[in-house]
Amino acid sequence: MSEWLASVVDRAERVDDWLSPARQQALQRLLEQRWPTRRTEAWRYTSLHTLEKLQLPLASAAENSTSEIPVIDGLQSLDFVFENGQFVGVAEAGHKPQPLEQARLPNGLSVHALLDSANTELSAFNKAKPSHHLFGLVNDVLAQQGLVIHIKAGATVAQPIRVVNRLSADVESHHRVLVVVGEGAKATVIEHGFGSCASVSTAFAEFTLAANSQLEHYRFALHGGEAQFFGGSHFNLGEHARLNSTVVGYGSQISRLDIDLNHVGEHAYAKMNAVYLLAPKEHFDLHTSIEHMVPNGTTEENARGIVGDKARAVFNGRIHIHRDAQKTLAELNNRNLLLSRGGHIATKPELEIYADDVQCAHGATVAEIAEKELYYLQTRGIPRSQALVMLNFGFIQELVNQMPNKAISEWLAPQLRERFTAMEQK
Amino acid sequence: MSDQLDQAIARKYDAGFVSDIESDTFPIGLDESVIERISAMKNEPEWMLEWRLQAFRSWLKMKEPDWAHLGYDPIDYQSISYYSAPKSMKDKPKSLDEVDPELLRTYEKLGIPLHEQEMLAGVAVDAVFDSVSVVTTFREKLEEAGVIFCPISEAIQKYPELVKKYIGSVVPKTDNFFAALNCAVFTDGSFVYIPKGVRCPMELSTYFRINELNTGQFERTLIVADEGSYVSYLEGCTAPQRDENQLHAAVVELVALDDAEIKYSTVQNWYPGDENGKGGIYNFVTKRGVCEKNAKISWTQVETGSAITWKYPSCILRGDNSVGEFYSVALTRGRQQADTGTKMIHLGKNTKSTIISKGISAGNSSNAYRGLVKMGPGADGARNFTECDSLLIGDKCAAHTFPYIESSNPSAIVEHEATTSKVSDDQLFLCQQRGLDEEKAISMIVNGFCKEVFKELPMEFAVEAGKLLEISLEGSVG
Repeated sequence: MSEWLASVVDRAERVDDWLSPARQQALQRLLEQRWPTRRTEAWRYTSLHTLEKLQLPLASAAENSTSEIPVIDGLQSLDFVFENGQFVGVAEAGHKPQPLEQARLPNGLSVHALLDSANTELSAFNKAKPSHHLFGLVNDVLAQQGLVIHIKAGATVAQPIRVVNRLSADVESHHRVLVVVGEGAKATVIEHGFGSCASVSTAFAEFTLAANSQLEHYRFALHGGEAQFFGGSHFNLGEHARLNSTVVGYGSQISRLDIDLNHVGEHAYAKMNAVYLLAPKEHFDLHTSIEHMVPNGTTEENARGIVGDKARAVFNGRIHIHRDAQKTLAELNNRNLLLSRGGHIATKPELEIYADDVQCAHGATVAEIAEKELYYLQTRGIPRSQALVMLNFGFIQELVNQMPNKAISEWLAPQLRERFTAMEQK
Repeated sequence: MSDQLDQAIARKYDAGFVSDIESDTFPIGLDESVIERISAMKNEPEWMLEWRLQAFRSWLKMKEPDWAHLGYDPIDYQSISYYSAPKSMKDKPKSLDEVDPELLRTYEKLGIPLHEQEMLAGVAVDAVFDSVSVVTTFREKLEEAGVIFCPISEAIQKYPELVKKYIGSVVPKTDNFFAALNCAVFTDGSFVYIPKGVRCPMELSTYFRINELNTGQFERTLIVADEGSYVSYLEGCTAPQRDENQLHAAVVELVALDDAEIKYSTVQNWYPGDENGKGGIYNFVTKRGVCEKNAKISWTQVETGSAITWKYPSCILRGDNSVGEFYSVALTRGRQQADTGTKMIHLGKNTKSTIISKGISAGNSSNAYRGLVKMGPGADGARNFTECDSLLIGDKCAAHTFPYIESSNPSAIVEHEATTSKVSDDQLFLCQQRGLDEEKAISMIVNGFCKEVFKELPMEFAVEAGKLLEISLEGSVG
């Protein structure tokens, strides 16, 4: 156990609230975990040595800055604002955040603070998130800030729900979001984290999609600098549920994201796109796991990344077809571009299959832009440097364009382009 | 379909007989004195013994790897005998006429006649029985070409410089748990040296046979292809049908110097155990080759046997423009478990590698591909293509793919694709419509699935492999 983990355990023992029974179980598991090393499969390419001995104060409202949280233009989202993992309030279209009780929520939507939700939503806690994620367990025992979001059965909440967390101080923070999408309900949830302070943060979210429900989901892990970030989004898909998820990640000192898609009801459909764009020296680690536990499920996953100088990208994409999950269709594709000799990419798409009547495939590539393609653009009068940007950026823009919400893709695309252009110039 | 599958699973293992041969077998157990005795039996020089002891001491500190997708009861390394040799081999027969006829009959029964006149012309055989090499055929003819092909125990005596220079140079003695064990207790195996510019005039082949009960086989093969040379080497293996598990932990090292080419083919048919998973060989093998400039190493394997297969023939592409290839068919049925694949380590410029892996799982078996493709910072213009396909027959088996890809070079290109499917009813129906019975149809479909690999095998082996597969699948679909 590292010094840092010892401090987590120490802090956890002092937490006492309605979630304590569940936290106790997690603490037991946490105590059984070994501190990851390069020999730990899930941490093979991501070293935790910068965290090992780190001691930071826990976040409190005192560090919060007064600056406004940037809005996503044209989105008109309902923003649940966190700062350093501390809940600030609910804001609409750039207005000042209001306390949760005073917020006017759309029909069919109810939101409670994690600690106020006493037992009513206990069923959603630790249901979709598997217990093997080390930092998930840390979040289990320490996250006292967070939200429980409930979309009523049959309701369509048209206004996108954004949970935004800014890291603005050198502190440690943990927050948790639980989302329950009722039967036949429809909603859009955006998890948006950013900030580059020398902080440690865990941010985990669990989604339970009831039968016939539909969720449009975005996870933006746009951290940077010295932030050490560990997060996850975990989904349980009920019968005929539909999920469309997009993950966008930047790297930082350590940025690690775990996504789990669990098909627990038949005929569910999940599509997931992931884009990661790593500026020089950044580290980003994306682990996705798709569990087909029942027959007739469908999953499509596409992940693409561009890795700058001295940056390290890690991708691990697992598809697990359980014994009874006949007639499953599952596909995973991971493509990577390495921009310079100093960068590093490690990718591992995994298939683990226990049912015979399934169609599963995965593919992975690592490459650079083909000289032929560059030549073609140059013959059309486009300067080489510009051609490079076009081709490289086109590679990820394809996935950005697939985002179902145009306001979001239009907000994101220029940022990605700017980031990429800056990378190329360095 | 499941009835027929059961039949398939129950098919006979043709090589499962036991030869009634008196043997000198060490008592079970392993400590430094056992290693000293092995070394003394082989009349080894001091440096070899020292090397073995160093390996043994590091092995004691090592942990058995548990990362593979395999489940088996822990191996008790103290309940194995580390040396067994037919008594008749004690006096070192000078020619085939002096070899115990029962030994020769064993090989005849396996379809490997050791009399040169009866053999397929053009294949020289080194026959290894338990811990000793019985005979190596065509040695004179090979010597004319300057090719050395002999048991490794003999090479240690006769060509100590060559052995000393290359042994452990590809697989260091502390490389992994099983390799270290092998370094400590290896008993025999083949040594091949092809001189500069020589194209080996015939295929070389080693046939491994485990006979004695409660023994392990730890053979070691070292092949050195000097500059501009070429050799094709085949390896086959079988063992009697027994209820106890037996351990086989081999090490194979290949050295391909500048412009050399080594083609290494294996048909592995160790006893796989019965339908309930009782008995069978635990096959933990370390195979690796180093390619210098413009060199090429090609691994082809057909894995149908063993209760447990743990095997990753690899290529270190150190020289510029070197080429590594891996073609594999792995068939598991009954309760067999295989975790096999390859590593392609690209270090030189413009190095190329191809990986074609076909896994077929039937019965209650589990079949995993595990591979690593690594592009080092110096691997400018390197290229890899990987294709892993799995075929599932029946709903109780499992197929897995774990490909690791690491790249540190922007101009290197890595492509990996994998698919999993079953023999479709449509394909079967089509074949049956054309008058084929179901069994033939399955066999044809599976053969087609494996064709890319079979075409890489030398002719005699390709025939054997095709036959093996056919027998293995016999009755799988009626």
